[in-house]
Amino acid sequence: MSAVTTAAPGAPVVELDLAELRRDPYPAYARLRRHAPLAWVPSIGRHLLTRYDDIVRAEKLPEVFSSREEGSLLLRVVGPNMLREDDPQHRRLRSAAEPPARPRQVRDRWGEAFERNARRLLDRIAGRGAADLVGDFAEPLVAANLALVLGLRNASADDVAAWSRAMMAGNSNYADDPGVWQRAEEATAAIDTAVAEMAEIARREPDGSVISSMVHAAEPVELAEIQNNVKVIIGGGVNEPRDVFGVGAWALLRRPETLNRVLKDPAAWKRVFEETARWVSPIGMYPRQLTQDYEIAGVPLPAGSRVALVIGSGNRDESVFDRADEFDIDRPHQPHLAFGGGPHFCMGAWVARHEVSAIAWPLVFGRLKGLRLADSAEDRLEGWVFRGLTSLHVTWQAA
Amino acid sequence: MPIVIFQSPDGTQRKVSAASGTVLMQAAVSNDVEGIVAECGGNAACATCHVYVEATHAERVGPPGDVEDEMLDFTAAERRPTSRLSCQIELSDALDGLVVQVPEEQV
Repeated sequence: MSAVTTAAPGAPVVELDLAELRRDPYPAYARLRRHAPLAWVPSIGRHLLTRYDDIVRAEKLPEVFSSREEGSLLLRVVGPNMLREDDPQHRRLRSAAEPPARPRQVRDRWGEAFERNARRLLDRIAGRGAADLVGDFAEPLVAANLALVLGLRNASADDVAAWSRAMMAGNSNYADDPGVWQRAEEATAAIDTAVAEMAEIARREPDGSVISSMVHAAEPVELAEIQNNVKVIIGGGVNEPRDVFGVGAWALLRRPETLNRVLKDPAAWKRVFEETARWVSPIGMYPRQLTQDYEIAGVPLPAGSRVALVIGSGNRDESVFDRADEFDIDRPHQPHLAFGGGPHFCMGAWVARHEVSAIAWPLVFGRLKGLRLADSAEDRLEGWVFRGLTSLHVTWQAA
Repeated sequence: MPIVIFQSPDGTQRKVSAASGTVLMQAAVSNDVEGIVAECGGNAACATCHVYVEATHAERVGPPGDVEDEMLDFTAAERRPTSRLSCQIELSDALDGLVVQVPEEQV
C-alpha cells in the first residue's frame, strides 16, 4: 500500500505554523482536540490525531496503524530499522536488542556504573557554582550510560551525543538542508564502523550489552540490522532522558514546596518522572500509515493515509487529566502516553527511569546546595516532534 | 469458552468469557475491565497488566516465566506470591472459572 500524501476526503484541513508549534504547540493541540481531533495539516503533510482515547485506540491496532511509513526521514537517515517495522519483523529485532534494557538488568548490571558516571560529572562542575545542567550534566551523563548499555566501549560520551544530534537534525530535516544530510551521513558512517568493531569483539566475548545481545540472539540478526538499530537507539536515547531530566529539574526549581517534599520523600522521584514525561513529553508525536480503510475520530480514512499520533497532545487531554496543563505530582495515577504503546512501547523506558529518577535527580539535588535557576533567557522549551529545554542554567553555593 | 472473573479493589466482580488461546490481558482489555492497562500490548515489557491470582487457583495457572518474573519486581502495586502479568497467562478450558484480583494501581 503506497502512502497517500494528501488529505482524506472529509478530513478537516487546519493550517498550523511550524515555528509557532516549535515554540509552544499546546494551544494549537487544545484547539484541535476540541474542534478537529483528526485534522489534515498541510505544513506537516499528515493527519494529526490529538485526543487521548483515539491515540490509545490506534496504538492497540498496529495491524491497521502500521509503523512502515513510506518516505520517513528516519528511514533516509538510518535505513530500515525496528521503529519502522511491524511484527513479526519488528519483534525479531526487538527481542534481540531488549534484554539489557529490562528493569532488573538496568538496576543490577548497569546501575552502579550509571551512578559512577553521574558522580564523575558532578565532581567536574561542583566547584564552579554555576552550570548548564542540560549541556554540562544531563547530556554527557545519558550519552555515557548509553554507550555502556549499547556496548560501544570504543566511543566516548561526546561521540555518542554528537552522533545523536546529527541524526536527530536529519530526522527533522524537512527543509532539505544539504549540510544537515552530510553531517547525518558522517555520523551514521562513524556508528557503522564502531558497531562493526564491537560486534566482532562481542562475538568472541559476550558482555551483556545490546550489541552483544543482538550478535547472540536466538533468531539471527545481520550486522547491518545491528548497525541500523543502534543508530535508532542513539538517535532517541540521548535526547529523551536528557529532556525529562531538564524539564523535571526546571519544574521543581520553580516549585520550592514540591521540591522540599520530594527531598524528604525520595520515593516521590518516581512520581516526578512520570508527571514530567506526561507534562512535556520528550517525544511529541510519531507517524503511522494505514494498511486499510479505517474510521477514527469521526473521519473515514482510506488505506495509505498518513496519521501522526500526537502523544504530546493526548497527555494534555483535559477529559483524562484534570488541569492537564499544570505540573502536579499528586494527580491521580493515570497512564500517560509518553512511552508510546503496543509493541513499540519504549525500549529505553526502564533505563531512563533508573538513570534519571533513581540517580541523576537525587544526586544533583543532594549535592548542589542552594540550587536555583539563573533565569537565563537562553533556557527555552522548544520543539513539538521532540520537546525539551534548550539549556538549564543554574547556580549553587560552591563549597 | 473459559470464563474468568476479575475482582476489582473495591470488591466488584466482572465475569468475562474468552476463547481458548487468548491471553487473560486481552480478555480484560476487550471487555473494558477497569485497571488492566497493558501499555505494551502484551509483550511483557511494561508491567501494567499485573494481577493477583486467587491463591486457590495459583497452582492451575503456574509460575511466571523468566522475563515475566523480572518485570514483576517492577510493578506499581506490591508484588505478592501469586502475582502474574495477565498478558502471559494463556486461557484454556483448564483455566475455566479462574479468579484474579486487579491491583490498586498499574502505573
